[in-house]
Amino acid sequence: MPREFRGDMLEHALHTARLHVPAERVEALRANVESVYSVIDRLDTLDLGETPPATALNARWE
Amino acid sequence: MEPYELTLAGAAEKIKAKELSPVELTASVLARIEAVEGRITAFATVTADLATKAAAQAEEEIAAGTYRGPLHGIPVGIKDLYETAGVATTSSSKVRADYVPAQDSAVVERLSAAGSVMVGKTHTHEFAYGAITPTTRNPWDLERIPGGSSGGSGAAVAAGECFVGMGSDTGGSIRIPASVCGTVGLKPTYGRVSRRGVASLSWSLDHVGPLTRTVRDAAIVMDAIAGYDRADPASVDVPVPDFTAQLDAGVAGLTIGIPVNYYTERVDPEVADAAAAAVTVLVGQGAQVREVEIPLPEYILPTEWAIMLPEASAYHQEMLREKADLYNDDVRMFLEVGELVLATDYIKALRARTLIQQQWREMFEGIDVLIAPTLPTPAVPVANTEVTWPDGSTEQATDAYVRFSAPANVTGLPSLSVPCGFTEAGLPIGMQIYGRPFAETTLLTVGQAYESATDWAKLAPLQ
Repeated sequence: MPREFRGDMLEHALHTARLHVPAERVEALRANVESVYSVIDRLDTLDLGETPPATALNARWE
Repeated sequence: MEPYELTLAGAAEKIKAKELSPVELTASVLARIEAVEGRITAFATVTADLATKAAAQAEEEIAAGTYRGPLHGIPVGIKDLYETAGVATTSSSKVRADYVPAQDSAVVERLSAAGSVMVGKTHTHEFAYGAITPTTRNPWDLERIPGGSSGGSGAAVAAGECFVGMGSDTGGSIRIPASVCGTVGLKPTYGRVSRRGVASLSWSLDHVGPLTRTVRDAAIVMDAIAGYDRADPASVDVPVPDFTAQLDAGVAGLTIGIPVNYYTERVDPEVADAAAAAVTVLVGQGAQVREVEIPLPEYILPTEWAIMLPEASAYHQEMLREKADLYNDDVRMFLEVGELVLATDYIKALRARTLIQQQWREMFEGIDVLIAPTLPTPAVPVANTEVTWPDGSTEQATDAYVRFSAPANVTGLPSLSVPCGFTEAGLPIGMQIYGRPFAETTLLTVGQAYESATDWAKLAPLQ
């Protein structure tokens, strides 16, 4: 079930991110956030098991 | 033929033989810029005075017997994301309108050391965050987009305003403009070319590489820019081959993987036919084909977006809070959305990336390269960037383009886009050749074999 940002849920999320978004942008942002989550939430169906993340850290000093 | 109409390799031969001077070549390119730039706006900044001085220096060096190699005296354009000492580097954004770096980026250092002549900074979709590049027009059809985000480099190379346009590619931003502008574009393997001094869109997906008129020209640029750089945390310390040495080795005995899914869905029939015909040309030269299934196709875009969005927002975190009003609305929206992606979702995508990488490795067992259309559709009109598919579904051009190009970013595999025809309306079509990690020479060999057998590599007919 894709995540939704109804009512003041978006405001709470923005508050957590410490990001001020002008009132006139909020509805467009809500639609875009929900649209993006509808895409990335497809990863919920992927069985990741013990798979580690792919990162780019190279621990060598030289 | 005017000097600007030569290929890089052709111009280099003449310079080496002292049949053409860097000053003459640069003057020809600057005159070309003067003639067409008003219609395509490929450049954020034209550095005519610097270029003229650099060309004069190259001419003196060559006359004195110090020939540095095939880039010596060759005019190049540098995407405005790349830092250039003393030259404005705006990322095509008001946010960085006044930014003048003190140092060159790693690639610009290497191109300068090779003797190239920078003629200007090419436009990018603002901070590389989009595939439209609204500042710029496509030289093949001025009512169409040049693609992006390296749209200025694509347009400039296609119009004859430079021989090389440097690009960056996080979701397809080298190959997208290459495909829709009819140029060659190479996204090297992740870690092959240093990104030091290039504004980041997404650290773990960003690559840098060249757009050129021909495959050979791309190989020449790779000879200059590839190599380990500790200053880029993603740089990989592996041997650097001679990228031009195997160009004419041919494709006999190579096996080409042909996707039976993903790249067959929601694709313009003219594009699909052109890519299929390209494979037939290579088969005629001795290549074999094998059908392959793209693994985990439904997870490619979720992985790309879940990594790119929060990484981009992390890069812009301070600027977004200080200068939000200076961003274009589309980029600001992406950045605001990225602020709201959870760290656990981001890491989930990094884990998905591991699985996708593993399964692409398995897919490559028994094939040397994978060939597919670079993009599902040619350049879209500036006035309407929405694509409507035969089933009635619609898709924004950026989403459609990234759908076909993002697998190379998620996997980090090298991908070379090569022109493979034109639509009935005269718009360029590209095919992309994927290879194994650090197998750029194989891609270039395949691209060269195809390009030599066809006649698609040409400048846009812009008078």
